[in-house]
Amino acid sequence: MNLRPTSFDFPLFLHVLGAMVLFGAALTTSVVSTVGWHRADMPVLRRTAFWTLLAVGVPAYVAMRGGAQWIYSKEGFNGHGDPTWVGIGFGVADAGLLVLLVMIGFAFWWKRSGKAAAARTVAVLSGLYLVLLAIAWLAMSGKWGS
Amino acid sequence: MSTADWLLMLHVTAAFLLVGGSVVAGTLNVLAIRSEHPSDAALLLGLIKRALPVIFAGVAGTFIFGIWLWHEKGYSFSSGWIWAALVFWVIASALGGRGGRSQAHVREIAERDAAAGDTMSGELRAMLRDPKALAFNYGAGVATIAVLLLMIWKPGA
Repeated sequence: MNLRPTSFDFPLFLHVLGAMVLFGAALTTSVVSTVGWHRADMPVLRRTAFWTLLAVGVPAYVAMRGGAQWIYSKEGFNGHGDPTWVGIGFGVADAGLLVLLVMIGFAFWWKRSGKAAAARTVAVLSGLYLVLLAIAWLAMSGKWGS
Repeated sequence: MSTADWLLMLHVTAAFLLVGGSVVAGTLNVLAIRSEHPSDAALLLGLIKRALPVIFAGVAGTFIFGIWLWHEKGYSFSSGWIWAALVFWVIASALGGRGGRSQAHVREIAERDAAAGDTMSGELRAMLRDPKALAFNYGAGVATIAVLLLMIWKPGA
């Protein structure tokens, strides 16, 4: 039944829970910024997008990425001949950090200015991030290329 | 990819939808509780409705693909960790549904207060912080995490 060593369980739990909560934070931001597309001046939407990314998204990212690195070192991978799904996961995680940070920057700008351009940029970036996260979980759970 | 690989991928996808949608509902609910104006609380609680299709797809998908995977992987019918996960899944669904109905009622009161001057009434404040409703929502979250724990640890497998 392909059971992994029990020492992998906690890092895997941390990784999966972090990824799921990160997806939820991105989804919350997407919902709020989509509504903000035409109502960008509403303070409650501006606050919600920024604080969700900062207070939920960032800790979730740290748990997801930290758990991933922990499992990676336990598995004994070394970057040479790693399975495709591992590469996709790390690629999305690392490129996703850039997207997350840029999104937080635009959410901060939206919170401070109430400008529609900022809200719309957050909406587009959060949609992009949701797609990236979906590709990562599909690749990792389906073990693409293994 | 084998049938089991496909089923695991779909099962995990459903789990992402369930937990992700629950995070949306939880985050918006917490921010609604902290709102200073009924209009803000009404808007945030109203936005939770947009996460419901995601949560429902997750609830259905985790069950359907989970049961199918149980059969496909050949786990024993008496696997205690799977039965325990099913019990927690039912508890999470029941508590989440009950908490959701409370939120819908609070939203109606928030909309009423928003239309009547947008001043936070004692009734709305009390309803937003109702310990029973909070217990339903937090209980659903804890039960969902318990399912995830069981799925990863597979105690006794």
